[in-house]
Amino acid sequence: MPKLFVDEREVTVPDGATILDAARSIDVPVPTLCWYPKLPVVGNCRICLVSVEGNPKLVPACATQAADGMKVTTESAAAVRSRQGVLSLLLERYPVEQIPEGSSRNEFEEYVRRYNVPTTRSRELPLRTGDERREDPIIQHDMSTCILCTRCVRACADIQVVGVLDVAHRGEFAQIVVGADGNPEHASCTWCGECVRVCPTGAIHDIIPMAVRAASGEMVERMRSRDMPSPDRTVRAVCPYCGVGCQIDLQVRDEKVIHVKSPWIEEETPNEGSTCVKGRFGTDFIQHRDRLKTPMIRRGWIRQGDTWSYDASRNGDERWGRRGGPWDLVAEEGVTAKRRPRTNPLRTNPTGPSTLGDPQDRVAIPDDWYEPFREATWEEAMSLTAQELTRIRDTYSPEALAVFQSAKCTNEENYLLQRLFRGGIGTNNVDHCTRLCHSSSVAAMQRAMNTSAASGSMREVEHESDVIFILGANTTESHPVFGAAIKRAVRRGATLIVCDPRRIELAARARIHLQAMPGTDVAVMNGMVHHILAMGLEAKEFIAERTHDFDRLRDAVQPYTPERAEQISGVPASLIRQAAEAYARGPRSSTLWAMGLSQHSTGTDIVASLLNLILVTGSIGRWGAAMIPIRGQNNVQGASDVGAIPMFYTDYQTVTSPEIRHKFTSTWGVPDERVPLTPGLKVTQIVGAGSPVRGMYIMGENPILSDPDVSHAEQWFRSLEFLAVHDLFLTETARYADVVLPGASFAEKDGTFVNTERRIQLTRKAIDPPGQARQDLDIVIELSNRIGLPTPFENAAQVMEEIAKVTPSWRGVSHARLDGTGGLQYPVDSPTHMGTAFLFDKGFPTEDGKARFVAVEFLPAAELPDDEFPFLLNTGRQMYHWHTGTMTRRSFALDARESTPTVELNPADALTLGVHEGEDVVVASRRAEVRIAVRLSKRVARRQVFIPMHYREAAANLLTNPVLDPYAHIPEFKVCAVSVKRAEPVQLDAGAQGRSVAVQGD
Amino acid sequence: MGYPYKPHASETLVLSTHFGDPEARTLKGWKDRGGYRALETALGMDPAAIIGVIKESGLRGRGGAGFPTGLKWSFMKPDDGKPHYLCCNADESEPGTFKDREIMRWTPHALIEGCAIGAYAIGAETCYIYIRGEFTEPLQRMEDALAEARAAGIVGRNAMGTGKTINVWVHKGAGAYICGEETALMNSIEGKRGNPRIKPPFPAVAGVFGMPTTINNVETLTAVPHILNQGGAWYKNFARSDNPKSTGTKLWSVCGNIARPGNYEMVMGFPFGEFLRDICGGALPGRELRAIIPGGSSVPIINMEEADRALMDYEGMAAVGTMLGSAGCIVIDNAQSIPRQVARLARFYAHESCAQCTQCREGTAWTTKILERIVAGNGTAEDLDTLLDVADDMTGKTICVLSDSCAVPVVSALQRFRGDFEALITKKTVHTVPVVVS
Ligand SMILES: Cc1cc2nc3c(=O)[nH]c(=O)nc-3n(C[C@H](O)[C@H](O)[C@H](O)COP(=O)(O)O)c2cc1C
Repeated sequence: MPKLFVDEREVTVPDGATILDAARSIDVPVPTLCWYPKLPVVGNCRICLVSVEGNPKLVPACATQAADGMKVTTESAAAVRSRQGVLSLLLERYPVEQIPEGSSRNEFEEYVRRYNVPTTRSRELPLRTGDERREDPIIQHDMSTCILCTRCVRACADIQVVGVLDVAHRGEFAQIVVGADGNPEHASCTWCGECVRVCPTGAIHDIIPMAVRAASGEMVERMRSRDMPSPDRTVRAVCPYCGVGCQIDLQVRDEKVIHVKSPWIEEETPNEGSTCVKGRFGTDFIQHRDRLKTPMIRRGWIRQGDTWSYDASRNGDERWGRRGGPWDLVAEEGVTAKRRPRTNPLRTNPTGPSTLGDPQDRVAIPDDWYEPFREATWEEAMSLTAQELTRIRDTYSPEALAVFQSAKCTNEENYLLQRLFRGGIGTNNVDHCTRLCHSSSVAAMQRAMNTSAASGSMREVEHESDVIFILGANTTESHPVFGAAIKRAVRRGATLIVCDPRRIELAARARIHLQAMPGTDVAVMNGMVHHILAMGLEAKEFIAERTHDFDRLRDAVQPYTPERAEQISGVPASLIRQAAEAYARGPRSSTLWAMGLSQHSTGTDIVASLLNLILVTGSIGRWGAAMIPIRGQNNVQGASDVGAIPMFYTDYQTVTSPEIRHKFTSTWGVPDERVPLTPGLKVTQIVGAGSPVRGMYIMGENPILSDPDVSHAEQWFRSLEFLAVHDLFLTETARYADVVLPGASFAEKDGTFVNTERRIQLTRKAIDPPGQARQDLDIVIELSNRIGLPTPFENAAQVMEEIAKVTPSWRGVSHARLDGTGGLQYPVDSPTHMGTAFLFDKGFPTEDGKARFVAVEFLPAAELPDDEFPFLLNTGRQMYHWHTGTMTRRSFALDARESTPTVELNPADALTLGVHEGEDVVVASRRAEVRIAVRLSKRVARRQVFIPMHYREAAANLLTNPVLDPYAHIPEFKVCAVSVKRAEPVQLDAGAQGRSVAVQGD
Repeated sequence: MGYPYKPHASETLVLSTHFGDPEARTLKGWKDRGGYRALETALGMDPAAIIGVIKESGLRGRGGAGFPTGLKWSFMKPDDGKPHYLCCNADESEPGTFKDREIMRWTPHALIEGCAIGAYAIGAETCYIYIRGEFTEPLQRMEDALAEARAAGIVGRNAMGTGKTINVWVHKGAGAYICGEETALMNSIEGKRGNPRIKPPFPAVAGVFGMPTTINNVETLTAVPHILNQGGAWYKNFARSDNPKSTGTKLWSVCGNIARPGNYEMVMGFPFGEFLRDICGGALPGRELRAIIPGGSSVPIINMEEADRALMDYEGMAAVGTMLGSAGCIVIDNAQSIPRQVARLARFYAHESCAQCTQCREGTAWTTKILERIVAGNGTAEDLDTLLDVADDMTGKTICVLSDSCAVPVVSALQRFRGDFEALITKKTVHTVPVVVS
């Protein structure tokens, strides 16, 4: 702990700290340009040179270790003179005329002002140049203001671990280049914007999100950072996309979000201020013109006095029938011809804003979709909804109603909505899309260790784990910020083992890639456990002290020799052995997985077999040995935590216990008998044949695209007696609604989200919802009160108070505590408890504190390729889109990157089929067929194809198999059999998307 | 004087004894001339004892900085459990210097022997010879000799049958002066862009691949076998009686406007005036010597008055305000334009700047632009002050000394030959230079 003097002030710093660290710790502002927290120190800008007594030369503060007794003068005459030299040399090649008189626009110019350097230049040397991303719709360069600090190079290489940027040439010709040929796409750029974030001059900048341009009405082709309007205020929010829970800063001007900025890197946020392309550039959907601004009621609903009735003759167009409209069914749209994707990113469309056009004008929602509706007042919409919910409950039973809640909405909203349906209506038919993502993981974790969330934290995986085993998770695309953390861990020396049927980026970087056939993971896991036991590598003490039923597991895995596992899964036995040994030897092995394991008809078994592996090696309950099911939506964890699932109240308290029920009903002020003691129906039971449900309320979900076998789902929703949809847009589901309630986006409300590591974070309202759209909380409160459930809350903070009261592990949570922090990881036992970074160091939350092995056998997927359907279809996500695309496809930047659906096909298969990149194929399963363009990719194995789930016009879920896992009722999204055939070419009319304006009757 | 001329009687031949003798290039020829005896002795010695001998000899680095070699070697902590590395700096790119080239061309085995001894002394099993990319012939000679040495078991897994591992590899540069700077060289060996690293950590702590590393010049390492054969005391004797700090012989590369350019091996402390005027033959017919850059392009220019009283060792050169450097002696006569020479040197540095540090990247380029403008007759009155200002910014403030090296000729020339620059600026005449073919 050296003690030194900085500008005559004594300061003690940890060993290894630099002079700069010492100065910053006492707020002495040493100027820095190339230095940036957490980036490797290169010490090349030379502006931080300071005087140290006894040292004839100036030393770089950023790169010189603080030593005991050192006497540092940060603003000595020599240091100041040297800084002025650096700044004036940089100004020699800087567009000095742009610097505003007497002020500054960026970090660099601030120093110019601070050190009174004349803003003149001799023009002996030309302005600096570099690769400029001229056609780029998202990030552009203005290299005349580059000062070659190389922060961008290091941010790209060391934070995001991508390496798009570098310095090329030397001497005066040195410049920042983009990949080898100036094309970011060829250099695997992911448009995360890390370079934008760190640039001290705005030489690398994002072009202003379309919101501003929409407001000013002009399309700007090429924009410089100096054109960026300054924001009126900045508001901290939590990103609305995946489960990493990145905090982002929304910059607001004229009541519009104009820009997303990173929180400062040293602030405690789960993302350390990093974002991916979606978080930084994909939030302009909130100002898209498709946003619903008034409540809408399906034509035909007539109000007489206080009662509403439906009059089919007044529905606007008799051809539409009860629930039709001027649109194609998803299945019909699936077979239409599509715009061709760009195949040559350098030249063809769509690359730049000019040729691409503005997504404001290529709205995803055709204008005529609104025709079956009329605008309504909130009073009308609310009274109709309340009337119908009450009517259906009273006519049939509470079980005839169901609600889909939203993993995109806040905990407070979700809590109130399940409170409404449980306490107000009296049904447990409460569920949300967790059913379709991690319900099987939760089922397996509940069974084995009575838990429903990640045991550890993302940062322990990044910094501590020796081995990272990641299965069925394309993290670098689906959770890019966490993906980058994993890549940093690999760079630090962690061993990465990937189990995935596709050769995804992490697989390519992994020590061992287990490329199993989809759905054969049980065999691989059992094979690994078999080998671990054979080698005697199991954690004997852990097994003896902290688990039950080990014998059963040992017997069950006995037949699964690595050779047998190879026969089933296609993974070489030697790799299974290597992976097993590496994982078991750890010593700290973390385990991460996502939908690749869970979305199977054997999803619960698959996850169970993985949990066995975790338990047999004791890879849990220690810092560095984390178990993390990676969550796909920003609040899917929270929605489950606050009771948006049919069998649990908040905190996974069972609905079957009268005592627990009493706790809730008494809090809500309703009689105990109101809420049944039996679990309600799950998403996949609510939708489909035999469902007792007649009326539904859907908040922020689009099940018509996200449920398997879309054709049937679409039919089922059309058969409902009443459907209320509460959303931002007129989604594929909302178009069938009786009442459409315009809600608020994440930027328009206060509330909390829970990320994948149990971190409860506060998101703040930046702007008002558009038009008459209302805060979702308000909507649910009003509806609750109308239904007769007293709901006296005024804001989200008050709702959180009630949640904390009934949720043991959230007892210490309040908005006041979360404000301005990086959030709290529950359990938070008391208002002073600091949260829990990892769980199970002592015991599991089971009765006796022990976990349980659940022996599982391999079962093949329900539908496997055969002669008629020879390909195996896998579905999932892409980097640039998210879920059913409701938000991402309305983002200018994301749409520009990926605007048309494609199917990934192995080039060898393409050769046999005779199709080329960009050409259409017809992919057909037993259920439906879609026409979709081919993207050649060696990521997919032969005889496997991959279709992203985001596109209505080629909906992957038309094809998927609706067979369900028996425990969790999760559908088998990841495996079904399809055929792939060349599609007959069609001539597309200019502009037309091949949509025939068909009219749908009942 | 070196090949193709006969040595001058006043030279002291140690390293250059076999220059011009093709037989010495082969393993057999080299052994016949006493080669690899020193290595044999060394491998039987305690590494610390070898370092002791080198310390006693007073050998200093011949790459430019003149750091005592024995001391440098003693920084390598034995038994620290880490792999050690020796790097031989054969990047010889300093304008005016061409001595390492001759060593590698004529006596490649001498260098291999020196490398092997050095590696053993510092506890390294691997030595990289980083050779300048343009050196095609020397590269070939080194590769041939190494192949022989490996085949004969002199280097490799079982060096000279002692069971010790001493691997020697040649790594070819790709044409960057900066890769001669020791830390840039290490980055280059690692396959990275050849940017110098911040020191500390010094190479002896974290060098190539982050491991303790010693880096020595070709000439330094080639002197080692001779010292081991004949003893530290013998080597120490090659010195001025009043200056024991500079010992041994030194190869001087002489070029420019001089009667007999070439490599000369001189004892330390020899009078510089005599060397230039007698041994090297003095000025070309009808010309007069005017200025000397005695130690490679990075050292201050001196005038003839200073040169005539200088002594040829580290301290003797410092006494007249310049440096011995790498002993690449550039001679400039009265037919040359000094500003033009300086501009040419500045352009070299501007071209070779790795562009990391602000002062170097911008300073070398700006200096060059100003000097070239002055040479073209478009100088202004403020230019000389600007040059000195920029030179001040460029001195002592950057990661490596390339930046300083560019400032040095400018500042020293302005000190001693300011009139030449002023004449160009005020008379506004384009200075035409008679073409000298030598
Ligand atoms: C810009 C620059 C270029 C250099 N080039 C060379 C070179 O070509 N050859 C060399 O031996 N040393 C060169 N050096 C010196 C080396 O950094 C280092 O001091 C030397 O190799 C050490 O060896 P020695 O102790 O045997 O002299 C250079 C130094 C700098 C700053």
